[in-house]
Order: sequence, then C-alpha cells, then structure tokens
Amino acid sequence: MSNPRSTRRIGRRLGAIAVTAGMCTLAACGGAGTDAEGGSGETVTLQFVHPEVAGSFDPLVKAYEAEHPNVRIETTNVPFDQLQSTLQSRLGQGDTSIDVYTADPSRIPGIVARGQLLEISDLRDEAEAATIPSAMEPNIVDGSLWSLPIWTSSQYLYYNPDLLAQAGVEPPTKDPAKRWTWKQVTDAARKAQAAGAEHGLLIEQVNRYYQLQPLAESLGGGPGLEGDDLLTPNLTNDPWITAMNWYQDIHEQGIAPRGIAPDQMGPLFSAGKAAFYVGGPWVIPGWKEEGATFGLAPHPYFAEGEPTTPTDSWSWGINPNSENVEQAKEFLRWAALTTEGSLATIEKILIPPTNANAFDKYVTRLDESVPGVTDGAGDLMLHELENTAVHRPPSPGYIQFEEMMVNVFEDIRNGSDVEDRLAKAEDELATAFSRLR
Amino acid sequence: MRTRMPSTPGVVVRTAGAVMVSLLFLIPLLWVVASSFRPGNSAFGYTSPFTFEAFVPLGGDVSNYVALFDGYFVRAVGNSLLVAAATVVFGLVLSVFAAFALSALQFPGREAFFVVVVLSFLIPFDAIAIPMSAQFRDWGLANTYVGLILPGLANGFAIFVLRQFFLGIPRELLEAARVDGLAWWRILWQVYLPLCRPALVGAGLMLFLSQWQSYVWPLLIGSDTEHHLAPIALANLRGQLEVNFGQIFAGSVVLTLIPGLLLLTFQRHFTDSVAATGIKD
Amino acid sequence: MNAPRTVLARRSEPVAGPVAGSTHRGARRRANRSGQLLTALAFLAPALLAIVFLRLVPAASAVVASFQESGLGGGSGWAGLENYRFLFSDPSFVNTIVVTVVFNLVLNPLTVILALGVALLLSERLPAAGLWRALVFAPVAVPVSVSGVIWSVVYQPDGLANGLLGMVGLGEQPFLTSTTQAPPAVMVTVLWVAVGYWMIFLIAGLKDIPRVYYEAAQIDGASPLQQFRHVTIPLLRRPMAFVLVANTVGNFLIFAPIQILTNGGPEGSTNLIMFDIYQLAYRLGDLSLAQTEVVLLMLVMLAVVAVQFKLLAPKE
Repeated sequence: MSNPRSTRRIGRRLGAIAVTAGMCTLAACGGAGTDAEGGSGETVTLQFVHPEVAGSFDPLVKAYEAEHPNVRIETTNVPFDQLQSTLQSRLGQGDTSIDVYTADPSRIPGIVARGQLLEISDLRDEAEAATIPSAMEPNIVDGSLWSLPIWTSSQYLYYNPDLLAQAGVEPPTKDPAKRWTWKQVTDAARKAQAAGAEHGLLIEQVNRYYQLQPLAESLGGGPGLEGDDLLTPNLTNDPWITAMNWYQDIHEQGIAPRGIAPDQMGPLFSAGKAAFYVGGPWVIPGWKEEGATFGLAPHPYFAEGEPTTPTDSWSWGINPNSENVEQAKEFLRWAALTTEGSLATIEKILIPPTNANAFDKYVTRLDESVPGVTDGAGDLMLHELENTAVHRPPSPGYIQFEEMMVNVFEDIRNGSDVEDRLAKAEDELATAFSRLR
Repeated sequence: MRTRMPSTPGVVVRTAGAVMVSLLFLIPLLWVVASSFRPGNSAFGYTSPFTFEAFVPLGGDVSNYVALFDGYFVRAVGNSLLVAAATVVFGLVLSVFAAFALSALQFPGREAFFVVVVLSFLIPFDAIAIPMSAQFRDWGLANTYVGLILPGLANGFAIFVLRQFFLGIPRELLEAARVDGLAWWRILWQVYLPLCRPALVGAGLMLFLSQWQSYVWPLLIGSDTEHHLAPIALANLRGQLEVNFGQIFAGSVVLTLIPGLLLLTFQRHFTDSVAATGIKD
Repeated sequence: MNAPRTVLARRSEPVAGPVAGSTHRGARRRANRSGQLLTALAFLAPALLAIVFLRLVPAASAVVASFQESGLGGGSGWAGLENYRFLFSDPSFVNTIVVTVVFNLVLNPLTVILALGVALLLSERLPAAGLWRALVFAPVAVPVSVSGVIWSVVYQPDGLANGLLGMVGLGEQPFLTSTTQAPPAVMVTVLWVAVGYWMIFLIAGLKDIPRVYYEAAQIDGASPLQQFRHVTIPLLRRPMAFVLVANTVGNFLIFAPIQILTNGGPEGSTNLIMFDIYQLAYRLGDLSLAQTEVVLLMLVMLAVVAVQFKLLAPKE
C-alpha cells in the first residue's frame, strides 16, 4: 500500500541507516573509545525511561557521566503498570524527548512492527560476544538487531523455615535433582496453614504471563500461541487446561489468596504470613533488610511434566525519533556490553545481568548476599538458565496476548470456568490479531 | 415539611437517622486518617480481625507523612496546586469574559453563541482526551504546565453560573455606566464583578475541584516524573513489586485535605451559586 | 474597545460638563449602530479559541482517525467504515456497551434517590443539622481517583470492609474478585463522593419550595407521605432531572476507579467505555479503534449534554 505515512516510515529507516553509517565512519576515524564524542564540546542530555524504583540507576548514571563528560543522563521512572501505556502514548505520537527506553524482550517484534525501535545491527557482533547465550534471541527480529538485553531472570521457591518447622515439614533443598513438585508444595502449604500460617503459597506476579507460562509449559502445553507467525492462539489443549485448573484450585482452596496484587506479595511474605513464595532474586535485599527469615529452593514443577522456569528481563532500545542517536547508542552499548556498565545497572537491584563477565560477578554477589541462606543460589540460577528457562513467544501479537492474558489469569484465579474462559480467550485473541493483518 | 411541629420522638428518630447516615459516609475517611499514622502495612493488623483501634491511631506515628516528603510526592502536590491555581485564575478570566458577553452585551446571534459555548464546555474534556493528547504533543505541549492547564480552563457550568448571576444585575446599572461613558471592561470590573462575588467564588471552586480531580488528562500528557500531578503520584505509590499502604493512606489524606479546607471555607458561596443555577422552578 | 482614556478622571467628577458628556454619548451611539458584536467577540475570544482548539480540532481528528487503518500491522491507509464494522461485530465491545449502559441505568437513578433521601433527612430541623450535612458532604473533597485508591484498600481481603463484616459475624466477601459484587463495589466508590455533592443541589431545590404548599396540604389533612408525593416530588422534579442528567454526563466517563480497582474485570463485568478506550489506545496500541470509540462516545455525550442544557435554562 502506498500512502504518506508508510513512505515517511521508510524515510525514517533510511535516515537511521545513514546515521548508523556516519557513526561507523566517525568511530573509525576517531578511533573507538569513550572520548569519540569529546570533540563536539556541546553537552547532550539523554532521556532514559524505565520502570524501576526512582534512583535505581543513579550508580549507572554517575559512572557513565564520569566517563563521558559531554553527556548527561536524565532518568524517568514510570511505574510498571503504566510503563507500556506511557511509552505507547509517547512513542506512538512521535515523541522526540525519549532517547533510550526499556522494553520487555517478548514485545520487541510488536514494537518493531510499530516502528518504535531504532535498528542497531551494527552492534550485533560486539553484543553477541559480550552477552550470555540465548539472551540475544528475543532482540533480533527479521535478522536485524533492535535492542540489547540488559538483564535476565529466573525464579526460586522461597519458604519460611519457621512456619514449616511449626508444621513439622522438612524444607526443600537447593538441589535441582530433588526439585519439589507442585503437589509437594501445596501439601506442605496446607500443613503450614493448618499449623497457623495465614497463606500457603504466594505467587509473586500472580496474574502475569511471565510467571504463569511455565505452568502450562511444564506439562507440554506450549506457549499458548502457535503457527509460523505465532498468531494462532492455542490455549484449550489439555496441558493448559490442567495447569489452569491447578492454578484455580490453589486459589479456590485458599492456599493462595485472591484479591491480592503482585505488589503486595513480597511484603506479605516478609511479614511472615506465608509458607511459600515463588519469585525472583530481586526480593532478597529487601527481605534481608527487613530481617525476614527465608530459605530458597528450585522452582517447582508438575510431576507429570518437565521442570520449566520463567526467564528474560528487560532489554533497552532507542527511540527512532531520538535526536541524539549516536550518544544514545553509546550509552546503550556501555550499559549492556561493558562489564563496568553492566555491573553499574545492578548495583541497586539484585537481578542477573546478561553481560557474561558481569554475570559471573553477580553470581558471587548473590551467593554472598545472605550467608547461610543464599549460598549456592548462583549455581542454581545458572542451572535454571541453562536447563529449564522458557522464553516467551516472539509473536508480533505478543503485546495484545500479554495484556489479554492478565485478564484471563485474573478471571481464572477468581473462579471463572477454566475451559470456557480459555476458549473465550482464544476467540478474543483471534479477533485482536485480525487487526494486525 | 420544615413547618411540621417537631414532635420529640420524631426528632429523635430522625436525628438518629442523620447520625447513622453521616457516620456511614465518614467511616472510610476516619479509617484512612487513622491508618495514615500506622507505619508500613501495619494498618491491616487492626481490620483483620477488626478492632476499634482501626479508627483511633493509638501508638501510631507520622513516619508515613515524613516519608512522603522525600520529594516526588511533594513535588506532585506542588504541581497540582500550581495547575489548579492557574486554572482558577485563567479559567475565571475566560468564563467571566464569556459570561459577560453573553449577558450584558446585545448582539445578533447571542443566544446561538450561548448555546454553542455552554454546550461545548459541558462535555467533559476527558471524552476527547485521547485525540487531544495527540494534538498537544504535536503542539509541543506534552510535559508542560501549559499543556496540563489548558484543557481545564473552559468549564461550561462555571460560564453558566456566572451568566445567571450577571443576568440578575439590573440593566439600569449598566445603562447608567454606559451613560457615564465607562468602557465595557470597566463596567465588567467595576459594576458586575463586585456584585457577583459568590458566583466568582463558586465558579472558581468548580474550576479548582475539576482540575484537582483530573486523572485521565495528566496521565496522558504529564508523563515525565517532573510533571506528575498529585492523583497520579498517589496511584504511583504502588510499586512494581512492593507497596507501602501507610504512605498511600497519608497521601490520600493530603489530597483530600486541600480541597476539603477550600470547600469548608467557601461552602456558603458554593451553595449560593448552586442555588442560582436556575435549576429550580 | 472604545474606552476613553479619561474615564478615571471622569468618574471622580460626578457632574460632567455638557459638552464632554455629549461627545461620549455620540461615540456610544455610533458603537451601538454597528451593534456590540465586535466587543462581544473580543470578550468571547478566549472561549471561542478554546472551542476550536480544545473541542473541535480534537473531535475532528478523532473522526478522521476512526476512518483510518490501525497501523498495527504496518498499514495506515483509509479504512472506510471498517473500524466501525469491526467494533460492532466484536463481542467484547458489545459487552462494553452493555456494561456501560447498565451501569448508568443503575447508578444514576440510585444517585438521585440516595441524594434525595439524604437531602430530605438533613434539610429538616434537627439538632446539629449543619454538622451532619458537612459530614455527608465531606467525601466530596476526595478526588474520584483517591476514592478509588481508598476503596481498593477497603475491599482488600484483610481490609476494612471484611473487618467490619467479620465483627458483626458475617463471612468474608470477595468484592472486587466476583463478577456479581465488583460492579456494585465500584458504584459505591462513585456514590460515596457523588451523593453529598448532589445533595447540595437538592437541598437548594427543597428550600425553594414555598412553605404555603405544605401548610395547605396539612390543612387538607395530608400525611407526611402524601405531602412528599403531592408537594415535594412535583416541585422538585426539575432539580432532580438536572441532577440525573448532570450526573449521567460524569458517569459515562468513569475511568479512574476502574483502572485502580478492577481493570475492567472480572470477566469484563466492569469494563466501562472510557476504560476500554484507554486500554485500546495505550495498552493494545490500536489508536484508530480507540478513536472510533471516542467518536461514538462523543455522539452520546452530545445528546446527554443537550438534555442537560435544556434543563439548565430557567423555565419562563
């Protein structure tokens, strides 16, 4: 179709390529290095939008500005629940005041289709060399690189040793070979509740696909999307129905609470109100500070299926309408691909970086964070990332999929008929996807 | 009704009813105020199971309020005050001018103008916030105070109330001023406005409240942290994976107290201007 | 503006010289002949500019966008009526309309009835009547979004609502997680603020009913209930109609409580149109479909507001 807007987009792409080419020449002439842009004399301010707690990236900004005297980084934190809508409204309307922003890797195909990411394929070789395997995949769409992975993630089964001891339950170990099944978890949770625990099991991101996909995947139900373009919903297969019935039952039976939002789960566990908690490593520093007692073990699985765990975290990309593309790219490169930069991104958040060198240092830090509790947590994470991690489907319709699945999970949690709700979700998704074609 | 002889049992029953109803409305507020003095998430210790300390902050402290003063929230409240104050000032100018033209002046098509102006502004701008936010971004007004203020300036109800008051001013006063050779803007300033203070306060209050309440628009147009308004900041106190309800309670109190004090001070004016809208027979 | 610079001076001397006076009268007559249209336009300028830039331009752009392709799949050409066709054949949009209409059909009359009840109760001669009125009015100071935040905490499993129910021996209720309880739970957050506000309007109306009507009815031996039916209701019809319509305008645009309390769930039972529009535009990124809904919403609003306007205009 020939119309003004698509022409404009092509024009923009060409422009981006030209800039990219220019940048290469510049780097070649001036010699690669951090003082490449030092000659311009003008101070450039980069706008960086992210969903973490304000101040999370202060160490990164400080370190970067120290090495790049002509660049200032301004960070804006947008709460997670509003991040997508804020970015969509601003990028969708051609906002130039965002340079670098965070994107969920599984959303990247959709964001690329909307023309909201700048192609950065020239960084690809360097990125592949510096990054842990498998983290690059979601950032590559149609053979081009659009964003750089910054962090990845995995999840543990945390338990409250006091509540388990009170119920006479032997806690699980860190050995992945002795990984608990979900049944073991719910049985123990029930006992703990009988012995006085308010909640049996808390699931950190209880209504988000990120955390719940592994349930169905463990039973072989697939990601819920299939076909060459991953635009055919398949949520009504037996494993999905079984997994979702289990998920509904734990809420129906009061092992897991209804009406509690993800942001309340961590505080409930650290207040000693729950026997088990499935969540990421980022909770550890806060719990340590609050003096919560906890132990950790491998993420559970269904006895009939395989161990599967959530993975991936944020990637960072560049707004194609940014007026500071070169500086933005250098900032991105530094934060993702240099050890120093990557470590600076995790100074305030205990989340695994995707930079391979930084990752090794992270593992040590994780192990040492709570002596006697987190020893071996790093090895366990490596094991999960290498063996059990399941990526989310890189579908161009992932954004719609993820948004709609929040409602599906919430409804099932609250008691909707599982098969009906999944069938309805398939219809809704098919309708929504028809808008993409 | 008010003339019926107040029989004692009747009064007792009705008073009891009044107390019950007002308590019903007050209870959530009471709980919020009490809980705002409970640090962290400890407020729920008094509702589950329920004890009357849920309404009495015995042993509480002001740590939530202290924590709110760390910058972000205070800045957002400051933004809200600035935006609401500017809305009152410029909104009153716009409304007074329009109401004056549509009442004191005589010109062909006046009624048609009146219908168009009031009708357009009776539609809350929330309805068209989404297309308008795209326009504002094109005009470079995203993340600016001007962008936050502009849409709240025109309020059909404020224009209407002011016009009603203006129409109530005897035309002889106007004629006399004209004979005296007073310019129109002087007539407005020296004759009309001094006679319409309650309507001005009432309209100003409406403008303030509508802007102080607004949520959709600031969500769309004030997306960088520096331009967050207070209601957005309050909603944002819920983090990605952590929440401190004590601060949410305290923030709710702050956001309610400010318009509350204004309403308390100007309640009479507000009621007067409501009574003057001509909605009665 | 034809403002003579000497106005200030002239005002301080009440008896103007006949010559000066006649000059000014002459000027006025000339101005009158061309009408006061120009002056009026000058005074109306801010309002007219606001109409153009804050109402007409955005409305027009929504209409244009509603005829365009979504751009989600890369295309952005004309779509004709495709967006409208898509919407009306999409069961979830039909659900949104049904939910929005039902919500308003329940909520708006309920607001009027409750506001009237409270107004009747508190407009009577009671000890400390002003205090009770102030307490019912107090939630009006709570911004609607804050009301949403407050009630979201009230409805928590371990929140105030279940605490109070537990105290009187009633079981824990699901509130926001139940398809049957979530819509009324959302309505409560809106009513809490709205009843006190509209009560003021109805009290103003009640005070305007001449006492003689009640006196006459009493002489005829009418019971309080009969007085209410035959005096209060007929004479309060107009303010009640106004409150009903004005309230409808606001309630068609309920957004914050939904976003804060339910996200439209469970099972779409609270998916009101304003939230659906936001969801489409900013979570699903389908701007043209969202704008199509905006156009439909604008048409409905225009109709409701026209009725409100008719009610505002005083009866001659």
